[in-house]
Amino acid sequence: MTLIGQTALALALILALYSIGANLFGLRSRRLDVLASARHALWAMAAMVALAAGALWSGLLRSDFSLEYVASYSSTTLPTLYKLTALWGGQQGSLLFWTLLLAIFTAIVAFQTRERNAEIAPYVLIVMAAVAVFFLGMLNFVTRPFDPMIPAPAEGADLNPLLQNYWMAIHPPSLYTGYVSATVPFAFACAALITGRLDDGWIRSTRRWALFSWFFLTLGNMFGARWAYEVLGWGGYWAWDPVENAAFMPWLVMTAYLHSVMVQERKDMLKVWNLALIGLAFALTLFGTFITRSGVISSVHSFTQSGLGPYFLSFLLAVVAGYTGLLLSRLRLLRSAAELESYLSREAAFLFNNLILVGIAFAVFWGTIFPVISEAVRGVKITVGPPFFNKVNGPLALALIFLMGVGPLIAWRRATRRNLVQSFTAPAAAGIVTGLFALAAGIHQWYVLSGFSLAAFVLGTIVVEFERGVAARGRMVHERPPRALVNLVAKNNRRYGGYIIHIGVVFAFVAIIGSSFFKTEVKRSVREGQSFEVGPYKLVYLGLSSLDTVHLENVSARLNVMRDGKTVEVLEPAKLLYKRQQQPATRVAIRSTLGSDLYIVLAGVDDKSGLVTFDVFLTPLVSWLWLGGVTMALGTVVTMWPNAREREAIAAAARRRVSALERELASEVRGA
Amino acid sequence: MRIKPRFLVGGALIVAAIAYLIALGIRSTSEYYLTVDEAVARQTELTGQAVRVAGRVKAGSISWDPATLTLGFAILPLPPQDGAKVEPVSMRAAPEIKVLCKGQPKPDMFAAGRDVIVEGRLTSHNFVTAEQVMTSCPSKYRAKKTG
Repeated sequence: MTLIGQTALALALILALYSIGANLFGLRSRRLDVLASARHALWAMAAMVALAAGALWSGLLRSDFSLEYVASYSSTTLPTLYKLTALWGGQQGSLLFWTLLLAIFTAIVAFQTRERNAEIAPYVLIVMAAVAVFFLGMLNFVTRPFDPMIPAPAEGADLNPLLQNYWMAIHPPSLYTGYVSATVPFAFACAALITGRLDDGWIRSTRRWALFSWFFLTLGNMFGARWAYEVLGWGGYWAWDPVENAAFMPWLVMTAYLHSVMVQERKDMLKVWNLALIGLAFALTLFGTFITRSGVISSVHSFTQSGLGPYFLSFLLAVVAGYTGLLLSRLRLLRSAAELESYLSREAAFLFNNLILVGIAFAVFWGTIFPVISEAVRGVKITVGPPFFNKVNGPLALALIFLMGVGPLIAWRRATRRNLVQSFTAPAAAGIVTGLFALAAGIHQWYVLSGFSLAAFVLGTIVVEFERGVAARGRMVHERPPRALVNLVAKNNRRYGGYIIHIGVVFAFVAIIGSSFFKTEVKRSVREGQSFEVGPYKLVYLGLSSLDTVHLENVSARLNVMRDGKTVEVLEPAKLLYKRQQQPATRVAIRSTLGSDLYIVLAGVDDKSGLVTFDVFLTPLVSWLWLGGVTMALGTVVTMWPNAREREAIAAAARRRVSALERELASEVRGA
Repeated sequence: MRIKPRFLVGGALIVAAIAYLIALGIRSTSEYYLTVDEAVARQTELTGQAVRVAGRVKAGSISWDPATLTLGFAILPLPPQDGAKVEPVSMRAAPEIKVLCKGQPKPDMFAAGRDVIVEGRLTSHNFVTAEQVMTSCPSKYRAKKTG
């Protein structure tokens, strides 16, 4: 296996280098057969990386401890599922997995561009192959997944227990897919800059890739939050840890990008901005890997640290410098004729939404690297914790939610008074009424009041939009509402998919407000038979039971959960001891309803006194976060769904380019 | 795209507002992140400040009362990491900080010899009243070269 894996990785590196060379030579000598060979080399590269990943998986499944990686991150008693996920449990494996995704996406792009985008395809593939060369270089020379362990131990060290969880099985692949697929729009942007074909062709060709990336970044962040919620046992889902921030920043910038490209497609504005955003998004994916791998910024849950930092930093700086230079050299070609005309326009709403999203990303970035900066500048490490991020991002989030309501309904170019009144009267009323209700219900925090009002306002605008569309279909094609609604979404999936995503964002926003402002925590040590109260619940501690397997030891406490004098559920929070690493972990018990979550942690068992300590959280509205995530994912699928109109637009753009080329050729002929 | 001056004003206002929020946030929420040595050396100037101190739990120093959720222990400086320069052994005792944390359950991985980050206030001589004790992942879970 060692030999197969190592050889495959070496061949993959050679093939990637060959592909770059062949593309360059093919472009210079204008030989299509050489360009085809470059493409085929990338397919072979993907096959080689897949072979290497297969070899490592096989090593993990067979518990082949002669491989250092397997000995470090697996064991014979590890359940099979986690043997498979151990591929991304450690550094070498996760880099191999990253490279596998990159190789697959590169192969797909090479396939998609056989005929389409022929004029920029070689450059796209050169950029993608160059990124692959970096990662393959790391795998071949710096952090090798197939290093042997001599002598092979009889048993492995096991996977970190915190990673032995099904959310951890799907969180990293989602996040990595999101990260790595951002390479595709980035490569197209590079190719557009190199060739000077700076119309919106590169954006249209990669719209679905960008959405695909955003989809997985969204899921990745959500799965990560869910994992933290279920596994870490502190009652929260987000701690503004550097590792979390690293995953959040590309999401923010990608979100900004997906909005601003609409302005370019529609109004031919913001060209430089869009190119800058996609460059930034790609750079942030590398930065994310850099901070999680380098240990430069201490994180409570960075699982792997190593000497990879300098390599990633160099690559990151090279990418940023190279891309910035390329962008600056093309500024002349990027002038746009259109102008912003009014504050009261959709362009302006999108522009401000972009500024705020990038502003949030910057605040997160600044807070994340602040310890490093303060140490360099003032000689003392100063950290900022969650309060900083909440203080800064809280108000910005309100502004963003407000714009989310305004943007889709306000007219392009310049809104008239009529447009404003027609679109916003009902939603504004919904917002105000909600605010008053909240006030009447005894809520006094200004942030909560404005947050709930804005959430109602946004939902109101979306309802107005759906209602208008359904009514229009009723008038024009005489459809009844349920059918009209389905057709409305199916025929304008980009737009209405976007609205569905916005609904999901509102859900998540409401959940974040509810769980941040109204969480209560009760910590109590009790003896068998004793009870205590948490909110509307009465918890009766019934006793302990334990279970012992080869892999782990499980001590669980039984609690009778009572409400209004009746038992509603019996919950069993548990403490686990993973034997191989002698590491304890906690298994939280959650009673989840749409209104609130009852979250119980078995915090301690004291054998001497017989006291058992529980840490109980009552968190309102937190379920809406997960519902919001599901809604956002659903909306993204709707908006990505193949659409005849868009295919036609791409074909038309291609025809325009061909005829422009023909004109160019004709004038060249005349000139000669 | 040429941008008319009045739109630059709007953009600049947003950027300024974000910058202001960041500056304000940093000023009001920052905490010193210190090693045990630093905390001991600079304690006169830091008394009363919010701090995070990273150290290793001293063996034999732990007292835990589950009834009142009171955890007391002492932390010692972290040993130098691989590759860092080794300082000469001095005759004086290693500096230590006493920590008292009330009202929190004992963290799962908390034990003598574990690396922890203590978050709280430096209240008196070599003493931190902690709001939170975080255990970081012990280094043995990272791949180690052997032989």
